[in-house]
Amino acid sequence: MNARRLWWSASSVLFALALIGLWQALADARIVSPAYFPSPARTFAVLSDQMQTGTLWSALGETCWRMLAGWFTASLLGVGLGAVIGLSPTARDFFEPTLEFMRPLPASAILPAAVLLLGLTSQMIIAVIAFGAIWPVLLNTIHGFRAVEPRLVEVARMLHLSRVERSVKIALPSALPDILAGVRVSLAISLILAVVAEMLSSQPGLGHNILVAARAFRSADLYAGVIVLGVLGYLTNAALERAETYWLRWRPAPSGE
Amino acid sequence: MENGRPLLSVRGLSHSFRTAEGSRPVLANTQFDIRPQEFVCVVGPSGCGKTTLLRLIAGLIEPSSGEILFKGRRLEEPQPEIAVIFQDYSRALLPWRTVAGNVALALEARNVPRNEHAARVDALLRQLGLAGHANHFPAQLSGGLQQRVQIARCLALDPELLLMDEPFGSLDAMTRQTLQDEVSRLLSVNKSTVLFVTHDLEEAIYLGDRVIALEANPGRIVEIIEIKLPRPRNQLTTREDQRFLEYRHRVFELIERGQK
Amino acid sequence: MIDWRRLGRGLVLPILFLALWELLRAAGVLPYETLSQPSLIARATLSALADGTLLYATWQTLEAATLGWAIAGAVAVLAGVLLGLFPPLARMTSLSVEALRPIPSVALIPLSLLVFGFGLRMEVAVVVFAVFWPVLIVTSSGVRGIEPNLLEVGRALKLSVARRIWKLVLPAALPSIAVGLRLGAGIAIVVAVTVEIATNPWGLGYGMINASQSLRADLMFAQLLWIGVVGWGLNVALLRIERRWLAWFWSAREAAR
Repeated sequence: MNARRLWWSASSVLFALALIGLWQALADARIVSPAYFPSPARTFAVLSDQMQTGTLWSALGETCWRMLAGWFTASLLGVGLGAVIGLSPTARDFFEPTLEFMRPLPASAILPAAVLLLGLTSQMIIAVIAFGAIWPVLLNTIHGFRAVEPRLVEVARMLHLSRVERSVKIALPSALPDILAGVRVSLAISLILAVVAEMLSSQPGLGHNILVAARAFRSADLYAGVIVLGVLGYLTNAALERAETYWLRWRPAPSGE
Repeated sequence: MENGRPLLSVRGLSHSFRTAEGSRPVLANTQFDIRPQEFVCVVGPSGCGKTTLLRLIAGLIEPSSGEILFKGRRLEEPQPEIAVIFQDYSRALLPWRTVAGNVALALEARNVPRNEHAARVDALLRQLGLAGHANHFPAQLSGGLQQRVQIARCLALDPELLLMDEPFGSLDAMTRQTLQDEVSRLLSVNKSTVLFVTHDLEEAIYLGDRVIALEANPGRIVEIIEIKLPRPRNQLTTREDQRFLEYRHRVFELIERGQK
Repeated sequence: MIDWRRLGRGLVLPILFLALWELLRAAGVLPYETLSQPSLIARATLSALADGTLLYATWQTLEAATLGWAIAGAVAVLAGVLLGLFPPLARMTSLSVEALRPIPSVALIPLSLLVFGFGLRMEVAVVVFAVFWPVLIVTSSGVRGIEPNLLEVGRALKLSVARRIWKLVLPAALPSIAVGLRLGAGIAIVVAVTVEIATNPWGLGYGMINASQSLRADLMFAQLLWIGVVGWGLNVALLRIERRWLAWFWSAREAAR
């Protein structure tokens, strides 16, 4: 069984390498101008150069910091507010219609308003990201807290748990799957908002770098930046997924899968 | 201490549910006592209100009329001395806590000091045959084991009155019989008082000191039968005992009559 | 049956918010020209609707979103079906898919700009990338979840692969495909607007960022409101279509049985 898995991992690595090989071949054949389509060799050269001179790390640091700070704030506020609203049927009546109206709005739509009202300085970008990324967490948290298994609520009554105990020991763990799902979406939104905000504001960072590279026709820098953003997206998501798998390890395996 | 006073008294208890069509009476003018250390079974056809009766005594719903006296006081909400075991064990256990964690919840609720938890949980798990499963999650356990966890959790409360709502109804026959004997023995050792609701009349007679037979629509006590069978009960010999068969006959007729 | 109490409660917050906003502006407490007020925003909305600019911008955004969704949907469904039917293929491509998928679609905006310049095509390209992956994954997992017996039947009847797909696989995977396409439509709109906000002088997003940079707060909020309305309306319409289509589909299957 293990040999089989190894074989399949190997084949998928080989396939990916084959794709890169194809990329190199197409670039060498100059079917498309290298101004649009740099070879993998050139792209990775630029990438390693950026890593050595430190330009990569500083840009990555800027984008990462804004993304994470905004996401963390959004998650904290979202869970806190969501818990309070979700636990109270009265609060839900007041807030849910407004919140549901906000749901279909693209998060990036907050940026023009932010440009107008706040200006996009580095600190403001974090606030903007937080405001844009809070909605999935907030909505999911509310849903998680309102959908607690009624039998468990009865158990809590029978055990004479205080309101606080009920919220922390029963409602919160019960809502955790929903909360984590919301937090994951929120992270993706934070990355998107960080990148677009940099493009709009010319604040230093990965988003700004790739826009500048595009305008200067430096395609290898552009592709390198895209790869870095892809890696950033992958790592942050994978980290969250790991955490989620651990915290939710009590879940029964889905049937039929 | 007082052997004369009943632990629980139900007086003139009636209950109706409000539905779209109006009000549906579920329980009518129920009256009975439960004495300390008694094992009382409530049996009846579906719709006879036996689960509603249990939930009223559990304090989870307020009766439309009548009263429930627990240790002489009016019962208006869940009492810390009364523990409930639900039929749907998978929904009554906290899926994110291990078996040990679920039992510990009861100790946390009673503000038992943290350092005592491990020992007490350990003892209870061993009593219920769950020693090897302490770190498993409920989803990893069979139905029978899950129900044992729920029982362990309730016993951790040291309750004076145990309410059991068809606890073995969702289990297969073999597991049911095993648990019947184990729980019966455990509860008599702990000197617990039990109100046991079931639709299985043989189970009711097998387990009970007294059987309350209900008829349906609305739920009403038809008869309360004293079960004078020797303890400890045995799945084979007790069930073949002549008196068992007579009780069985009687309860069957009462229920059949009650099914109209 | 309308629950007037809940409806009333739900309206309290928005009405309170709007009233407060209007009052504070009128009283001069909020001095910034950048904030506008509900009455002016309403006026701007109506005038933008009347002179057709709002509708034209909506048309532009929808055009890009729909084209991108259609292209991505078609390719992703086909690819998803193939990946679902042939697990070896899925395993071989898994690394490549997992490497490309986390790239945030916004990272491709400068690249698309470089290749296509401003306009419809660059936006469609980014939308295609964004919509492709979720539809691919939902479709392939939907196909994988099909009853194995069904595929056995296809093989037993000696149907060609193409016919097997058309007659057996697609109908069975249709509910998953429908959900994937609906999600993809939502993503298409959001990504289209995001691209417009970031750089592309096209559609509603551009309208918003343009208004904000021209300090026309009333127009900007008008467009923000309009995007919300369009997004909500689209969601409702898509749900309706999906439900009706699936209902027809299920009843047709029942009739055929």
